[in-house]
Amino acid sequence: MKTAIESVLAGRVVEEEIHLTLVELCHVCNVPEDQVRHWVGEGVLEPLGEAPHEWRFAGAALRRTRVATRLTRDFELNPPGVALALDLLDEIESLRSHLRRLGGGGVR
Amino acid sequence: MKFKDYYEALGVERSATQDEIKQAYRKLARKYHPDVSKLADAEARFKDINEANEVLRDPEKRAAYDQMGSGMHAGQDFQPPPGWDAGFEFRGRGDEAGGMPPDFDASEFFEALFGRHARQAGGRARAGRQASGEDHHAKVLIDLEDAYRGARRSIGLRVPTVDAQGHVVLEERQLDVNIPKGIRAGQHLRLAGQGGPGLGGAPAGDLFLEIEFNPHPRFRVDGRDVYLDLPLAPWEAALGATVGVPTPEGQVQLTVPPGSAAGRKLRLKGKGIPGQTPGDLYAVLAIVQPPADTPRAREAYAAMAKAFEGFHPRT
Repeated sequence: MKTAIESVLAGRVVEEEIHLTLVELCHVCNVPEDQVRHWVGEGVLEPLGEAPHEWRFAGAALRRTRVATRLTRDFELNPPGVALALDLLDEIESLRSHLRRLGGGGVR
Repeated sequence: MKFKDYYEALGVERSATQDEIKQAYRKLARKYHPDVSKLADAEARFKDINEANEVLRDPEKRAAYDQMGSGMHAGQDFQPPPGWDAGFEFRGRGDEAGGMPPDFDASEFFEALFGRHARQAGGRARAGRQASGEDHHAKVLIDLEDAYRGARRSIGLRVPTVDAQGHVVLEERQLDVNIPKGIRAGQHLRLAGQGGPGLGGAPAGDLFLEIEFNPHPRFRVDGRDVYLDLPLAPWEAALGATVGVPTPEGQVQLTVPPGSAAGRKLRLKGKGIPGQTPGDLYAVLAIVQPPADTPRAREAYAAMAKAFEGFHPRT
């Protein structure tokens, strides 16, 4: 095993500074374009622009696409199933965030 | 190396049918999948479950594992006997590797048994064309305080790379990364050119770091806002007080207005996670009542009862 030491790196915050094209999003998440088209068709991802080659995904789509990819693989979900799971996960997250605001401990 | 009991990991008998294994895996995966579960050990548990499933769902691998592992139990010291896998077909399948997912993260035990799978590396190298490098992903845990100040983190990554002979080797890379001030949990940092190497002169891929916060004993984070519980004595809440409040940037003084009820949120504007639109810090008031454990304390409560004769908390 080799060890390489490199100098200090600075990155860009994807969610704030970056928009992704379909090709870029697929490359980043290692997922076929067809798959992403299906997810867009189900409303899992909502890019700006009309035709797929004009689509621009906000940085937040990166995380959503990664989750969708893992759920598809690990549970053999189809696009409507992924859409349902992600909606439910969003709802759970908003309930959790409500609990965090209320306080009293126990919720991260 | 310790022996891993894959049957135990899935909670099935050694005699389980393939259907029973699949069912057990799915049930546990739903419970421990890191995207679904908030359990603290979900990621580690899911890794174990996934690895057990990779072996037991594949009849070839399962048969080999059964043959070698009979009489062994979890945690026992173990070395695979030489040539133990003769007669089984999963070795040297190249980039197919039994259909393992690209980010499958195998244990030392698994690798000793089934070898490291070659992933796409072989396939891509063979193609002999230009291809930009793979993008890599990793998670980085930082403290909430780091998001307020910015931080430098040293990150160790184990990256499979292809050597001159076309073999996949693990390369340990140490990266020093500046975590910018104002970053929030769930966001990604893109480090251009720090992913997999490109082929045929094509550019290297990028490295994406997903940011996560270590749980904080005092603060809760919601997006860019930060919450903390602020305990008050009943008279502080009733009469008002100026109290010291900890924030990730240090102590500040907060004025509690008279007549504050438990659950009331006092906002410290702009004291949340910094940024173009900084978050706010909220102190959620809690009222702590002193114990009535001395005659003097009981007297004080009795005097209070008398003073509030008209007060009926249940009406």
